[in-house]
Amino acid sequence: MDRNKIGKWLRSPGKMGQKYSLHALYFCTGCGIIEIPPTITARWDAERFGVIPVATPRQANLFLVTGYVSLKTLRPIIRSYEQMPEPKYMVGFGSCPINGGMYWDSYNTIKHLDKYIAVDGWIAGCMPRPEAVFVAVTHLWTLIDKGMADGYKRYRENYRYYRENQEKILGKLEWPPLFSNV
Amino acid sequence: MNDTAKSLKENLLSSFDDIQAEITDEQRLTILCKDDSVIPVLNFLNSSGYDHLALISCVDWIKDNELEVVYILNAYTEDREKGKMNILVKTKIAREKPELQTVTNIFENAEPYERELHELFGIHFKGHPGLTPLFLEREYEIPPFRKDFDTRKYVQEVFNGIPFVEDKKGKNERT
Repeated sequence: MDRNKIGKWLRSPGKMGQKYSLHALYFCTGCGIIEIPPTITARWDAERFGVIPVATPRQANLFLVTGYVSLKTLRPIIRSYEQMPEPKYMVGFGSCPINGGMYWDSYNTIKHLDKYIAVDGWIAGCMPRPEAVFVAVTHLWTLIDKGMADGYKRYRENYRYYRENQEKILGKLEWPPLFSNV
Repeated sequence: MNDTAKSLKENLLSSFDDIQAEITDEQRLTILCKDDSVIPVLNFLNSSGYDHLALISCVDWIKDNELEVVYILNAYTEDREKGKMNILVKTKIAREKPELQTVTNIFENAEPYERELHELFGIHFKGHPGLTPLFLEREYEIPPFRKDFDTRKYVQEVFNGIPFVEDKKGKNERT
């Protein structure tokens, strides 16, 4: 272990634990998922950064939305995000979740993911290289250190507004509200 | 131009009198027919070996006020010339209340294609077992693949009409 980090470990062991054990849920939307297999396997080896893919949302705390989000995929994205235990971090991968990207005038693709879900960070690019995932992960570490990766807190506080937006675009949602402040 | 296409064209023209057949490219035979003779033509092609429906597609000719439905057929066969052939059966129907007879009783795999055309172009297929939505989540006034569907206006109204959560929160706190 790095000797300089001992102080940090002693001051806030919880944060350090969260930082170095990111269990990622790679949500296979769109074309971005093609970058993920080389990222998690031998070529780029995401486990160097403590990022490991897990099977279900209930074991994950990092959510990568890779690529465009159509209306039909928005529904499982919301459901998976709500199933994840806190603290959870949401990262949009590629330019399509940011502002629609090349689907900016599509009739069936949502344009801004952060209108429906609290997002902690973005990786811009079409497509981002696997290295960009690691840049994002190291940036997420600093955000966690400073307490700025607070997407899950924002989601809980403003759940009413998020739920309103979700119902506006998807119609009636078939699952009950996650928090009681609706 | 090969013999398979030529003989098939002659066969078709001799058995149907209200169709036009044309060899438009190497290994491509285009058949234009009226909407009520689609089923007999497809039946004929099916029995003469072209038993694989690859795709049902649609073109919106907005100036002619017509929708053109295209059935693309291939053959599963050991005969190489025949196996390379693409048969295009085209028919034109009116844009207002477009209706066609279903072909699911000839080619079973037509079912999802017809559902797709139903939701994207608004074509009603008579006799289809279940014309439920296939891909889309929302209801659209004009089917979205028609040429008069204005995607930019739709995006402005629906997607850009939804406010950011931060803006919304700020507004509520001020009032």
